[in-house]
Amino acid sequence: MPGHGDRDSLRTERYVNDLMAAAGRRADAVPADPDLDPGVIAAARRLRADLTRVHPSFRFEEALSERLAEAAARLRAGLPAPATGVSAALAPVQPATLTAFPSPGPIADRDTAAPVSQWRAILPPAAFRRIPEVAPRPSRPFIVGGVGVASAAISIGAVYVAWRHSRPTSGRMGKAAKAAHSRSAGSGRGRRSGATHGIFGVLS
Amino acid sequence: MNRPVFGRSEESARPARLDRDRGLVEAARRDPRKFDALYRKYLAQVYSFAYYELRDHHAAEDATERVFMQALAGLPRFEERVDEFISARAPVAAGRTPGAEEPAEAADFSTFRIWLFRIARNVVANERRRDRRRPVSPLEEAARVAAPDDVAELAATREATEAAYRAVQRLPEDRRRVVLLRFVNEMSTSEIAAILGRSEGAVRVLLHRALRSVADDLRGRTN
Repeated sequence: MPGHGDRDSLRTERYVNDLMAAAGRRADAVPADPDLDPGVIAAARRLRADLTRVHPSFRFEEALSERLAEAAARLRAGLPAPATGVSAALAPVQPATLTAFPSPGPIADRDTAAPVSQWRAILPPAAFRRIPEVAPRPSRPFIVGGVGVASAAISIGAVYVAWRHSRPTSGRMGKAAKAAHSRSAGSGRGRRSGATHGIFGVLS
Repeated sequence: MNRPVFGRSEESARPARLDRDRGLVEAARRDPRKFDALYRKYLAQVYSFAYYELRDHHAAEDATERVFMQALAGLPRFEERVDEFISARAPVAAGRTPGAEEPAEAADFSTFRIWLFRIARNVVANERRRDRRRPVSPLEEAARVAAPDDVAELAATREATEAAYRAVQRLPEDRRRVVLLRFVNEMSTSEIAAILGRSEGAVRVLLHRALRSVADDLRGRTN
């Protein structure tokens, strides 16, 4: 058996429920229990009319939506959501785990994608097909190293040819060849100039 | 996995009732980017609650941001907390006559909203505690809350709104919260009870006493 206070509370609750439902229906008249305090009825009607819901600014709504989206992306990636406001300054910094980062991805493909596409655009299909297979996994050091080795080989070869020309021959065949060469090159030109002319003359 | 918020009652054998926000919550749990739907749905409610409690737009914005950030981060744990609401409602359900009509408000029940407002209650309480040393209540703000479009009625309405706002602000904390959750956020007695951690009977008494206090306050101002 409810007491006097409980009965008043139940009456008040019933009236407030009816009042809120009537507002939803846009109805004005709300029947009230005759035993209910008229002051309570007036206060409820007043609060129903005056305590309206407040909406924040559109700018705040969109800004917070963006921050939540960023936090959601972090959570999706396995990272902790950023703390906000005052708590952000107090939040402990958590080290990110290695697994939280996205996988490295196809770095080799990314490196080779541009040159291969350029070759494809420049070369005819038959020539393009003769290009050594670089798509699977050509490493950058390999390409750089190949150019270096070729450049060094050319340099060594040029030095060897120049040295070989300047080196005095000791064999009979060598002496005969040298005599024949000096005759054809003219008596006024030295050995060195002849060697130089031979090299650069051929090259040019 | 969908779990019913209200389990199947042995006595009444009613079908299990689902949280009305369950679909949105499940989607947000699968993909946190879907949390935006819940955010848009409850932004005004959370902001209003914070605004009426803190009496300052900037403080309300800060509190609102904290609430939704905490909700987003804590959403994976929300499933476990659902059980708390079930057990909180259990004594009420047990006291009801088997087969009796459930109140219509129960059909509109959202445990997510209860959980969200529990976060809001804590955030706002912390904020108020922090700001207790600060002078509060820029009351001119109150008039802007419900300013009507009709300019002729503006002055009278502003006066009335301000008076009601003052009366609510003078209420003790627990009564004020009940009033705000009931009139601003249009929550049912059972929802308010779950948010505040009180029984439904206690919430009814708090509401009744709050209205009597407001009535006395307004009457005194009128006289």
